[in-house]
Amino acid sequence: METIAAHTTVHTEHTTSHDDHDHHHEASWLETYVFCQDHKTIAKQFLITGMFWGVVGGLLSVIFRMQLGWPNETFPILETFFGRWAEGGKISNEFYYSLVTMHGTILVFFVLTGGLSGTFANLLIPYQIGARDMASGFMNMLSYWFFFAASVVMFSSFFIQTGAASGGWTAYPPINGIRDLAVNKGSGLGFDLWILAMALFIVSSLLGGLNYVATVLNLRTKGMTMMRLPLTIWAFMFTAVLGILSFPALLAAVSLLEFDRLLGTSFYLNQIIINGNLLDYKGGSPVLFQHLFWFLGHPEVYIIILPAMGIVSEVLSVHARKPIFGYRAMVVSIMAIVIISFLVWAHHMFVTGLNPNLAAVFVLFTLLIAVPSAIKVFNWIGTIWRGSLRLNPPMLFAIGFVSMFISGGLTGLMLGNSAIDIQLHDTYFVVAHFHIVMGVAAFFGMFAGVYHWFPRMYGRFMNDTLGYIHFYITLIGGYAIFFPMHFMTGLPRRYYAFSNFETFSNFDSLVVFISIAAIIVFLAQILFIVNFFYSIFKGRKVEGEYANPWGGTTLEWTAPVARIHGNWPGEIPSVHRWPYDYSVNGKEYITQDVPLAPGEVEHK
Amino acid sequence: MKEDDYIKKLKSTTEYTGVHPKRFALWLGMASMTMFFAALTSALILKKGDYKVWENFKLPVSFMYSTVAIVLVSVIMHFSYIAYKKAKFAAFRWLLFLGFLLGIGFLLLQYFGWAALNSIGKPITGNISGQFIYLISSLHGFHIVVGLIVTFIFLIFAFRARKDEAFEFKNIANPSRLLHMELLVTFWHFIDIVWIYLYLFFYYNYI
Repeated sequence: METIAAHTTVHTEHTTSHDDHDHHHEASWLETYVFCQDHKTIAKQFLITGMFWGVVGGLLSVIFRMQLGWPNETFPILETFFGRWAEGGKISNEFYYSLVTMHGTILVFFVLTGGLSGTFANLLIPYQIGARDMASGFMNMLSYWFFFAASVVMFSSFFIQTGAASGGWTAYPPINGIRDLAVNKGSGLGFDLWILAMALFIVSSLLGGLNYVATVLNLRTKGMTMMRLPLTIWAFMFTAVLGILSFPALLAAVSLLEFDRLLGTSFYLNQIIINGNLLDYKGGSPVLFQHLFWFLGHPEVYIIILPAMGIVSEVLSVHARKPIFGYRAMVVSIMAIVIISFLVWAHHMFVTGLNPNLAAVFVLFTLLIAVPSAIKVFNWIGTIWRGSLRLNPPMLFAIGFVSMFISGGLTGLMLGNSAIDIQLHDTYFVVAHFHIVMGVAAFFGMFAGVYHWFPRMYGRFMNDTLGYIHFYITLIGGYAIFFPMHFMTGLPRRYYAFSNFETFSNFDSLVVFISIAAIIVFLAQILFIVNFFYSIFKGRKVEGEYANPWGGTTLEWTAPVARIHGNWPGEIPSVHRWPYDYSVNGKEYITQDVPLAPGEVEHK
Repeated sequence: MKEDDYIKKLKSTTEYTGVHPKRFALWLGMASMTMFFAALTSALILKKGDYKVWENFKLPVSFMYSTVAIVLVSVIMHFSYIAYKKAKFAAFRWLLFLGFLLGIGFLLLQYFGWAALNSIGKPITGNISGQFIYLISSLHGFHIVVGLIVTFIFLIFAFRARKDEAFEFKNIANPSRLLHMELLVTFWHFIDIVWIYLYLFFYYNYI
């Protein structure tokens, strides 16, 4: 009875197969490409929206890097585009803070959460567990459209008179707690829109997350036990669990903030003096916000990095033609990371006057989380050790991910110690750490995924040559941007200019070097975008009706290249083995739906 | 391929294990909402502990009435669901309607509660202890509004089906709608329990 119930939302129109480029399918164009409930289309919607945001967020960083690199120069072109925000071609300090704030918000939430998780969880969960679609296609569609609405609201805040939010992506009160434009122009309407956009974004990520977990736990095909799931699926499921349990804390945090701003409560505000006037707020504490914010904020970095880890595990194994090293250890590490990530939030708050005894606990858990992370790194290296590596773009990006994750992770150990962190807090050392470990690394995971599953998404390959150029510029450029930052001892982050500080003048040439590298890396990403859209229409086609271009073992490669609603035309394949059967029984690889040969022992 | 064939195919190949995915998704959603209210109430505990200006006061009696109201909503919704299950659609309709009205009543009582708070010198801009009641009860009220909207959509279907048998067959007398009704009732029970928790939480934190 309830089986029927689960699928009444399925559209009959979608049961016919569609050609990807058939834009003249008039009857249901809207349902096919816009309000679509098919997981594959929703994945592409997330990916392309994420790419749009990636370009916007990256461009913002280019603009503020221009200010940082050449604080005394003027760029008349900026005035052409931004008018009074860059009068005389010089970025105003308010605009600078908006750029920094929005850069952080966009990349953390809209690109690396919405774009990364939204794309690959949607694309791969039904394909790899052997399901026709998500548990609720309707909720999945809503998830995208809430994301879209959040995007529209966030983007619109660039175009209002007082400008976009400018109080930092972490939205700390008291600066963001008062709608007083004398304090900070971005504290006005721009920040209200920021909160609205984030609330919509949280709803989107919850709707998506509920679906991902319910689908993985309840809609697996016959024989697909949990220990036969590819690591991608484990990663996406636990990412969703993290989101479900931690995003509500952010929603609570910004609810209190908006109450303070609009209704005059004082949850975060206490005895504020502006222009000599004591405001009427009493009893609040800004540190309360930091607790609530980082209760999401820290799991958030794992929401970003876990999907990338899952993708990288899969890509490394496929292109090394070797089983993943230590499958169980990988699964257990993911679980450990998820649990510990809820117990480390106050390591962002060592300088708030936190009780040192309490800080010790958070130091302990922070350092503990290095253990599962290191296990994963060892296992990735173990996977490619003595493999027959195919060094194509997805594989290179996956290896690049491991490199970045190690480089950024090591500085995490330093920052995790409160004694060292108090010295380094709010300096470029921190900027270097988190950009390498969760910014560049997560991007590498995302690129690996796009290059790897592009044939699955569009039935074509991306151009390899452009891919190689993209990879090498991004890898070298990524290190060129962030590695020098480790040595800019004491240089405070978020500053508009350092010209007034004699002590920092010896970093001048380094700052220029970083700015040049940042601009080059941004331009290299344009190559990727061009490659992506060019390949959708003109890329080399995948040959055959049931092609498995990389020789992968997971179920998505057993589905026909033509994308049809329901994924498989006949019965869903049932699963007989684990997802990493490479080089067994004298075969290069065996897909999961192939029954065990007589006498063959299943890998446990 | 017709929809029927499609569903048959789904049934033959996709077997969900144990719990229905939609029911499971609702449970996860409830876990998420629990985290939301846990975050809010722990913020209160934190504030109460670290600030000396915290003022205790007696909760307005209106909140007690609203607690009774929401318990009634829950009970009535449950009976409505049972009637639905037994295909007693008339009873289902009217009970659902009654539940809907009481839900609105709950919100009104919350509003009276805020008015009473205001009149005893605890306006929203006043002492931080009072501010938390406005905050948490209005955020809870937002969940009630969502519940009411979904209930209202159900009501439209239920009353349209009264004179239109074909419509009734398609939109009421089918297992998928029954599941949706079950999920709706579960949601009402959940926000009911959340409010009881919040009421007791306020009650014991403000004396």
